[in-house]
This record gives sequence, C-alpha cells and structure tokens, in this order.
Amino acid sequence: MLVLSRRVGESIVIGDGADKVTVTVLEVRGDVVRVGIDAPRSVRVHRAELLEQLADTNATAASPSQDAVASLKDALRNRG
Amino acid sequence: MHADDGVDLPVIELAHPMPGFPDEERFALVRLDEDGVLMGFRSLSREDLQFVVVPPGPFYPDYTPELDDETVAELGIDTAEDVLVLLVVHAGDSLAATTVNLRAPIVINRATRRAAQVILEDPDLPLDAPLVA
Repeated sequence: MLVLSRRVGESIVIGDGADKVTVTVLEVRGDVVRVGIDAPRSVRVHRAELLEQLADTNATAASPSQDAVASLKDALRNRG
Repeated sequence: MHADDGVDLPVIELAHPMPGFPDEERFALVRLDEDGVLMGFRSLSREDLQFVVVPPGPFYPDYTPELDDETVAELGIDTAEDVLVLLVVHAGDSLAATTVNLRAPIVINRATRRAAQVILEDPDLPLDAPLVA
C-alpha cells in the first residue's frame, strides 16, 4: 500500500487523463477526515463498509432453499 | 408497477457485478409463482446461484427510486417504461422474518437487457426492510 501524508487542502491524483480521480483532504477534526472525490462519472465511489454490507446482504439472500421459496410462495398466496 | 410486469427475460447482462459476486455477469429472470410476484434472478454461469426478487409495487407502493444519470447511461435507458426495478429478497424462516433490500435494487432495462444492482444515495433506505410490514 502506498502511504502519503497530506495537509488540509492538498490532493492526490489517481490515474491520468480523462480517467483521473482526485482526492482532496477537506477537513480534519479529531479522528474524522473529510475528503472530496473528483472522479469521472463512470467511476463509482462508495463507502467501503456499505459495499461490504451489501456483499454480506447479497450472500445471505443468495440461493434460498427450495423449501424456503415454497413457503414464501405459500405465505404470499395466503396473504392474498 | 403491476405484478404482470414480471416478464421472463432469458439473458440479462450485468453492467457491473453484484457486490459479493464478482464473476457473475449473466442472469435470467424467471417466474416462481403464477402471479408474477416472486421471481428468480438466476445466474447463467453458476446453476446453483439464484436470488429471489420481487417488484416493489405490492409491498412498497411508494417506493420510486431515482436513478442517477450514470445508471441511466450505463444501462442505456431511453424511457422509464423499459425500466424494471426488483428488490432482492432474503427468505427468512417465516414471512415476518423475510426481508428485502431497498437500498440496492436490481434495475433492468428490458429493451437492452442490461441490468445492475444500483446503490441508491438515500442512506435511510435499509438493506433489510421487512417484506411485509
């Protein structure tokens, strides 16, 4: 991992040309660092923990047993 | 959205993979019940992989996620009528324990058959909302 020290107002640039992503340190307060991210629209930017949560949620939802699907089907039908 | 929007689509290509499933690019949408409410979003490369999905309408009638320009471009969406929004279901032990992911619906462009699991901006949308309140 590349480790860089930056002050408030300073940036790092990842990639180059039209694909470059610029990350700027906006504010440091206690243990909270606010960063601004300037990226092309094709680059999706997400908080890492949200992606992890979503991966977990997807893994939990994936491939329910036939029994679970059947009982869900019944429950929804009975609900009208 | 009406339940009869649950048409079968044989080959759907993901614009980017679902988090946690980096290798799955192609899926099919199949009906799992007569009403077209419960559907299976089935991987075409891994036979055992299926997500149960539902249209939000019957469960969350007010759910109208706003798609950002990037998603619209990525899926090649021309008109709202082509868009099919589906919620990923986690089938619990009972109906009461069954949840849906409102934060990251699967959005399908029926015209191009391109799709993506779209992460919505609204942080108040839960990943595990009860399917029925």
